[in-house]
Amino acid sequence: MLTYIARRLLFLPVVLIGVTLLIFVAMSFLSPYQLVSTYIKSPEELKNQSLDDLVRKYGLDQPVHVRYVNWMKNLLRGDLGYSVSANMSVSEAIAKRFPATVELALFAIVPVVLGGIWLGTISAKHYNRPLDHFSRTFAIIGWSLPDFVFGLILLMVFYGVLGWFPPGRLSMWADSIVLTGDFVSYTGLNTVDSLLNGRPDIFWDSVRHLIAPVMTLSYLWWAYLLRITRSSMLEVMNKDYVRTARAKGLTEKVVMNRHVRRNAMIPVATVSGSMVLGLLGGVVIVETVFDYKGIGLLTATGAQQLDYTLILGTTLFYGMLLVLINLVVDILYAVIDPRVRLE
Amino acid sequence: MKTKVFSLIVLLLTLSLSVSVFAAPFDPETFVYVGGAGGPQTLDPAAAYDTASGEIIHHVYDNLFQYINGELDNMGPMLATEVPTVANGLMSEDGRTIRVPIRQGVKFHDGSVLTVEDVRYSFMRGMLADPAGGPMWMFFEPLLGVQTMRDVIEMAGGSGDFADIKDVDPAILRKAYDLVAATMEVDGNDLIFHLVDPYPPFINILAKGGSWSAIVCQEWMVAHGDWDGNPDTWAKWYDLAVEDMTLYDQANGTGPFKLSTWDKSGAQVLLSRFDEYWQGPASLKSVVIKNIPELATRQLMLRAGDADAIYVGQEDLPQVRSMPDVVVIDGLPQVTNTVLFYSFTIPVEGNEDLVGSGKLDGNGIPSDFFADVNVRKAFNYSFDYEAFLQEVALGAGVTPVGPIPQSLPYVNTEQEYYYNDPAKATEYFKKAFDGELWEKGFEVGIVYNTGNNTRKTALEILEYNVERINPKFKVNVIGLEWATVLDKLRSASLPVFVMGWLMDFPDTHNFAVPFMHSAGTFAGYCGQGLIDLAKEQFDELVEAGIKATDPEEREKIYFELQKRYVDLAVGMPFMEATTHRVMRDWVQGFIYSPAYSAQYDYYTIQKVQK
Repeated sequence: MLTYIARRLLFLPVVLIGVTLLIFVAMSFLSPYQLVSTYIKSPEELKNQSLDDLVRKYGLDQPVHVRYVNWMKNLLRGDLGYSVSANMSVSEAIAKRFPATVELALFAIVPVVLGGIWLGTISAKHYNRPLDHFSRTFAIIGWSLPDFVFGLILLMVFYGVLGWFPPGRLSMWADSIVLTGDFVSYTGLNTVDSLLNGRPDIFWDSVRHLIAPVMTLSYLWWAYLLRITRSSMLEVMNKDYVRTARAKGLTEKVVMNRHVRRNAMIPVATVSGSMVLGLLGGVVIVETVFDYKGIGLLTATGAQQLDYTLILGTTLFYGMLLVLINLVVDILYAVIDPRVRLE
Repeated sequence: MKTKVFSLIVLLLTLSLSVSVFAAPFDPETFVYVGGAGGPQTLDPAAAYDTASGEIIHHVYDNLFQYINGELDNMGPMLATEVPTVANGLMSEDGRTIRVPIRQGVKFHDGSVLTVEDVRYSFMRGMLADPAGGPMWMFFEPLLGVQTMRDVIEMAGGSGDFADIKDVDPAILRKAYDLVAATMEVDGNDLIFHLVDPYPPFINILAKGGSWSAIVCQEWMVAHGDWDGNPDTWAKWYDLAVEDMTLYDQANGTGPFKLSTWDKSGAQVLLSRFDEYWQGPASLKSVVIKNIPELATRQLMLRAGDADAIYVGQEDLPQVRSMPDVVVIDGLPQVTNTVLFYSFTIPVEGNEDLVGSGKLDGNGIPSDFFADVNVRKAFNYSFDYEAFLQEVALGAGVTPVGPIPQSLPYVNTEQEYYYNDPAKATEYFKKAFDGELWEKGFEVGIVYNTGNNTRKTALEILEYNVERINPKFKVNVIGLEWATVLDKLRSASLPVFVMGWLMDFPDTHNFAVPFMHSAGTFAGYCGQGLIDLAKEQFDELVEAGIKATDPEEREKIYFELQKRYVDLAVGMPFMEATTHRVMRDWVQGFIYSPAYSAQYDYYTIQKVQK
């Protein structure tokens, strides 16, 4: 297994060079004056300035291969460049925004996966009966709802009407403590940092801000896991060894939990892995609606403003994440199913 | 299992209900403004040229002069003690020498006391740094008659076309420094400006609202790694990337608020009251300026009282008018103009999506299509100004009478202007290209930047009205990404485009140059044909207008410029927009000034619960 992991990790630089090269090739289709729009973001900002001076200042007139080599040289020195849209270095932007996304993903993945598996199990157990129809309909409605619609409905109800779950990552009072006080940011995850700083009030405040986006993500994604779990379980339920288990007199609970669900988990693990990846890559619309400043919103804003330095940095980071998470999922296969051998 | 889930839900709800324990009550000392997308780009006064950056700089720094109550015609001193005039002897008869006495005992946020040397350093440092795309041209033009530091290096005998300033001979750099240094002189406690020519709005450039003329503390700047005033080392700080400039994300001004934090990842800025402010401390203790792109989220925050004021676009105003406890102040005058420009020399090759065949054959337009004054006049008579103003802009503005907004002096409000008249449009279309255009027809692509629906609708009005004049006329409204628009502007490839200009300082000159001078911002985007026309018709008058000190003479010049612009239908100004503010009804003391880039002047604001 170690050889397998080492081989996969050795493949990482190839993937990263590939994706960044692709972006530079795409960039070569843009003129220097298209790229200068990063610095002049709208017609209102087009004042008494020379576009040529800006192009010269930021080296946008250099051939694309020269820019790529320069970028690579800086990368090897650990410098990912400066992001105009984020107003900070790319590495700082990722370091500050990724923990927010990780926090959201950590809080979301448990209800998403457990809820999805639970609903899928209920559906499979009650195949073609009212409970199956109900849970499927419930989940499909979530799947069909545009995320900004459901997000706004939740925000309107839980913040606008009830005042429970406000947008943002923290309330103003908590923000002022975190930003200007003696609060030490160890991980960038407000829930963890607040406990480490002995501030349960800030912990609860950050949880309050996570509930609505987590509810949105959970409801939107349950249908997907439900369908995978359900079909996978139905397939396993017809296997001979399940019939044997029943025949030997095992209770339905033991049959379902030990023989059916566990064996039906491989496709679920694959999907869950991609969900984690999706969550860690950022959920732009949910982040926008709930003003949750994560990496998704960062990347989307960068892309809108043609902030190619940021796009390169986040792509590099996301590429790395993709390879690593896929590796973890592969290892999980072997753990769940001993027949899978990593070679 | 079910019991557990139910218990969990009950626990969550109970905890949620208990949040009122943690929720912040009405705080009369904290003001929260939530803007739309786009926070400040830099906090350095020498580089900032966008309104979001100006919002912060406005409150952290002071300027030499200020508009009393925000009124453009009511100038008063700020860090100066008097406004120089010929009458009080602080301005020479010819308007070229201006003496500014500096206020004593004013403190910076770090406790340093303001000196006249700080004031001189502020302007010297800004000019010598001259970041590309920045606002420092406003000092070069009146003080040296040029636009950039590159021009000054040329004046000093070097080439302005250098790739790196390190390549420039140090002797030339020293000479360039001397040229800049000679424009300002310290005499006792006064700073004397030496202008190359009279420049009536120079005092306006130095007034509150202009980020570029904020006063910084020399000692603090040097301690934080900025230029130390040495004539031979300034080039090290020349045209740095904005993020490498000293004041990019830190500040030490004399303004009513101190910069506490610029939380870039959270897109918010926290300001705190400066208790030793020389005009007395502000009522608000802290100000939070946030940016949230989603309007619905901003609206909910306003409703919940988590925001005291929010940004709402003109088209979305009806949504907030009916909100309880919310005040909408609209019809606030701005000094701005939105204009439809014509390119006089349009490249054909590679531009087929907009000019079609590139010939006058009914399937495109020739390169000089808009060089024919009859075509321009016909287009100007085809636009329905009134319908646009009432139906699209929802009445928030006025129809212009030329390129200079009517709120500025020296605008002839009696000037006969264009209106929607299909008969006149037909008449000019028939005259164009000696009747050939009417016979053969044309097809042209007119462009707006995607996302700007107001401009899109304006172009659609034009499309509809032109096409119904002659079935052989075909106008295609095309949306392009801003990056592509910028690229096409650079090569003057857009046959028609819409742009706006928001004033830098309240003077007619600030509009005459970009709209009419051959070296102005827009001429370059309208092709060589317009540059040639501007040289012939406008340049001399624009230059005379700014040098004239006699108001009557200035009026005569600007009236003539306006008349020529309208007669020649150089462009189609179609909107002078007003603006608005949306706030909770507990916000008191709001002062508006068209000169401020800041949405609010937090120094005058108080929160009083109803």
